[in-house]
Amino acid sequence: MTLHNTQNFGNQQTVPNDSNHSWHLPPPYGAKTVLVIIVAAALLLISGKKTEIDKMFLLLGEAAGNVVGLNDSSQVIDGGKKVVNSMLPIQIFEVTEISRIENFDPDDLPMFSRIDNEEVTKTVVDPTTLELSTTTTTRSVVYSPVGYLLHVSKKMLETIEIAIWATLFSIILSIPLAYYSSANYTPNKVAYTLARGVVSLLRAIPELISAMFLVLAFGFGPIAGILALAFHSAGFLGKFYAEDIENANKGPQEALRAIGASKAKILRYSVLPQVLPQYVAYNMYILDRNVRMATVIGIVGAGGIGQELKGRYDMFEYGHVATILVMIFLTVFTLDQIAGKIRSKLI
Amino acid sequence: MISFDNVQKSYPNGAAVLDGVSLTVPKGQFCVLLGHSGAGKSTILRLVNGLVEPTAGCVSVDGSKVTSKTLQAVRRKVATIHQELNLSNRSSVATNVMTGALVDVSLIRALVGWFPVPIRQKCCEVVSLVGLNAEHLNRRVSTLSGGQQQRVGIARSLMLDPMVILADEPIASLDPSASRDVLSHLRSIAHRNGCTVLCCLHQVEMAKEFADRIVGIEGGKVVFDLVPDQIDDQALKLIYKNYDDPNGQVVVRESAIEHVAKTLHGHAA
Repeated sequence: MTLHNTQNFGNQQTVPNDSNHSWHLPPPYGAKTVLVIIVAAALLLISGKKTEIDKMFLLLGEAAGNVVGLNDSSQVIDGGKKVVNSMLPIQIFEVTEISRIENFDPDDLPMFSRIDNEEVTKTVVDPTTLELSTTTTTRSVVYSPVGYLLHVSKKMLETIEIAIWATLFSIILSIPLAYYSSANYTPNKVAYTLARGVVSLLRAIPELISAMFLVLAFGFGPIAGILALAFHSAGFLGKFYAEDIENANKGPQEALRAIGASKAKILRYSVLPQVLPQYVAYNMYILDRNVRMATVIGIVGAGGIGQELKGRYDMFEYGHVATILVMIFLTVFTLDQIAGKIRSKLI
Repeated sequence: MISFDNVQKSYPNGAAVLDGVSLTVPKGQFCVLLGHSGAGKSTILRLVNGLVEPTAGCVSVDGSKVTSKTLQAVRRKVATIHQELNLSNRSSVATNVMTGALVDVSLIRALVGWFPVPIRQKCCEVVSLVGLNAEHLNRRVSTLSGGQQQRVGIARSLMLDPMVILADEPIASLDPSASRDVLSHLRSIAHRNGCTVLCCLHQVEMAKEFADRIVGIEGGKVVFDLVPDQIDDQALKLIYKNYDDPNGQVVVRESAIEHVAKTLHGHAA
């Protein structure tokens, strides 16, 4: 069809007509493509059954029906409502009983907070008569209106610091790895294979898993988090750096080799200027990624906001969990904006 | 001074590139190599700074033979100017020029980019020598014109006061006026500093205008070795016959230059 149109369009005397008729432009898709599509669809169907995709669509349909009023109950909608209800309102203030604060000094209160009296109603069972009795007592508390928000912010800052340190260490760690695992600069085959192996290994171990073991070695806290993230991202950076070194334009490198410059000097003056913008982009991406991952690895006790999240989740304090989630979202969003600005300036 | 003594070069796959080249280029001479692509011109240059090793015969620079032992010493005396300029486009002119003296800078200084004072002075000297201004020093190479960039390449090659300058089609990416500019700089450096300049070109007219001596290379052999005035169609036929011509027939009716121009044009298109 297309060929026919082209012929009409380009109907010029200089082009002999019969030679055009012997041309053949095959259709873009053939039996082979159809077969591939059928096989792929069959595989997806089998896999979909195993991974309960059918059930997912069933539940989603039910939820949609519930929304428009076709049926009375939907597992998904009910569950979602429960989650939202337990999360709202999100936790902003913080109340701490004074008797629980060590060395309490009423003149040195935290920011925005005040001392308050709070009535606490307790229901107790009398052990002798087995009757329920209600007693009301008053206790002194420190009420701080944005206390929990401040606490979460502090934890978020710690998380960002973990991410920055991890990124810094991963950059330092991946420079030698990149040198040894780039085929054109490695001193010998053994070093090359070894370095490539290390880079793959570092990348293969998820940070959540390595953090679990590092927590055993270094104890709960940020150290395990920093190391887990640094090792994993060094696996990425080492690979990215090495590939860029291998693909760098050969000309400037040969120019310096002809002068007699050593490998390190060639890397510094011929390769580095070429790959630097790309490296900055990689580092920004790794930092961004480390902030997100640092919030997660806290769950296994490796410091940061994740540790707080896990604790609150386990105590069913979903209001607190909601505050943390909002904070993580805001941080990642802000970081994304900043990273975009920096990248556009550097490249 | 460079001398080639019956140099042969063939690659492991059996392709012979040079087949007994003997040539001596004295001090202070601007010598141009002419020949079609693949004739072996670049290989001749690469033999001098040891990027290629000869299969047989020997190459010597300033009386010392080029071997893996003397390579470091030889490369100090030999500077190269490249067809694709081979500069770091994102670095400044000064940084690019100073990399010409990298062998004289300690590793630590080189890595942090803190070049010693004598090298920085030399950099200013050679940059002014090739006709660039002080304001060019801190500009990125990518902001310069092609001709200016090639001058940066020449300045870089002058950093170590070389005895030999090898130029592999230094004007291939330049317009005619920038080409003349670059070639006249090379010639004046040869005459004034007493450098031996060995230069591959495709531009016959340019070669005739600027060279002290023109050597024709064909099939890995020296087929003529003349002063520019002696170059005529007869000589050019020796190097450009068979070019792009599967039957191996010389086109007699056309002048060699027309033939070259046509084939080159056809090749480029």
